[in-house]
Amino acid sequence: MAQILFHIFIFPGILFLLVMSFLIEFIDRKLHARLQNRVGPPWFQPLADFIKLLGKEVVITDEADVTIFRVMPLVALTAAVTAFFYIPLWGTEAIYSFNGDLIVVLYLLTLPTLSFFLGGWYSRSVYSAIGATRALTQLFAYEVPLLLSVLASALLAGTWSLSELTRFYDAHPGWWLFNLVGFVVALIALLGKLEKVPFDIPEAETEIVAGYLTEYSGSLYAFIRLALNVEMIVGSALLAAVFFPWGLSCGPLAGFAFFILKLLVIMALITLLRSALARLRIDQMIQFCWKYVSTLAFAQVIATLIFKGVFVK
Amino acid sequence: MGIGKKIMTWARIKSPWILHFNSGSCNGCDIEIVAALTPRFDVERFGVIIRGTPRHADVLVCSGPVTRQIRDRLKRIYDQMPSPKFVVAVGTCACTGGVFDGCYNVLGGIDSVIPVSAYIPGCPVNPEAIIDGVVKLVGSLEEGKSA
Ligand code: SF4
Repeated sequence: MAQILFHIFIFPGILFLLVMSFLIEFIDRKLHARLQNRVGPPWFQPLADFIKLLGKEVVITDEADVTIFRVMPLVALTAAVTAFFYIPLWGTEAIYSFNGDLIVVLYLLTLPTLSFFLGGWYSRSVYSAIGATRALTQLFAYEVPLLLSVLASALLAGTWSLSELTRFYDAHPGWWLFNLVGFVVALIALLGKLEKVPFDIPEAETEIVAGYLTEYSGSLYAFIRLALNVEMIVGSALLAAVFFPWGLSCGPLAGFAFFILKLLVIMALITLLRSALARLRIDQMIQFCWKYVSTLAFAQVIATLIFKGVFVK
Repeated sequence: MGIGKKIMTWARIKSPWILHFNSGSCNGCDIEIVAALTPRFDVERFGVIIRGTPRHADVLVCSGPVTRQIRDRLKRIYDQMPSPKFVVAVGTCACTGGVFDGCYNVLGGIDSVIPVSAYIPGCPVNPEAIIDGVVKLVGSLEEGKSA
């Protein structure tokens, strides 16, 4: 019992993810600033933002559905934190694992988007409604390639469990190179999931104020930001576990260091892309995702199937 | 001040998010405000971010005199911001009405409609002056003068 509580609240649960999310946000913003030739925010910036938002008034409009409006940020945060328990961090074994947890993680990572949609929709602001529908439209574009690319890696390993998947790739070093195309697909899909530029269409602040976040203020907004950061960590961790499953059998400390390193590399890639690109329109984004990204993902799956059929007996 | 309050004040000082509102300016001050937000001045060093929605903002940066047309909108934007909130009047017009004072359609400075915490004169204001004004406002927070 005590161990479970420790897992939930301290490591790798809420406290660890809180610290990590501040760190990740700082690195993201600092790197973004440096790429623009700026100095960037100081290291405590995300912490100050978080505390300040906690101390602000929470405005809820008369027309909003109070329960849904209040609960949804917490649902998103809970889902993102829960997904983290199934990802192997320092070894080939996650804290909790069963056959099929890969699907559960993907499902839990979809929940924040859905809860943001509901929260935005029920805040009854026009901007929120537009942002919320865009978030949902975008969901249909990136979810399929993400699932397919992860599926390709899981097919090669022949398992639906993240821990077994890492064990498989640990036993077959070098095989992860086969999934690199899948990684590119998953990275693009992750950009859509995290609503980072060029796919920040649901919260495009130059067109629709702040999208589904328009009516959120104070502590509720703080929790949404936290949920988005945790989603970013979990998404990057998932990609690291599925596509770079190496260096995990050399002890917990080295494994954890490798994990952090992989996380940072994926994060840096995301920041690089968001600094270099401009926002797409929603129809361009959908076209791009279905025409090219999904095709690539399908190609990866078919290549994996052929490879498995011919070489693995 | 208790420790909790101290931390809260520190956080508020370190992260003033702003919302820019043109209440009838000739656009000179707006250009300077936008210039102050460019990478050259890099206000993110001080934690300043520009937000699109009043719900996320702490500081309302107003430029220009208040016209009769804009008065209700300005009030509404101000009411939509969650407290604690501050208003910075940027430009001579925003401080007093400036060259437009006495026009049939102009009410006067920003403080004729909503309370103002900091005045930054200039026609138009330098970006440096805007940053200085916001920093001074934040500094006055620390001494507990306005809160
Ligand atoms: S202070 Fe000068 S530049 Fe600014 S709005 Fe007034 S007239 Fe325009």
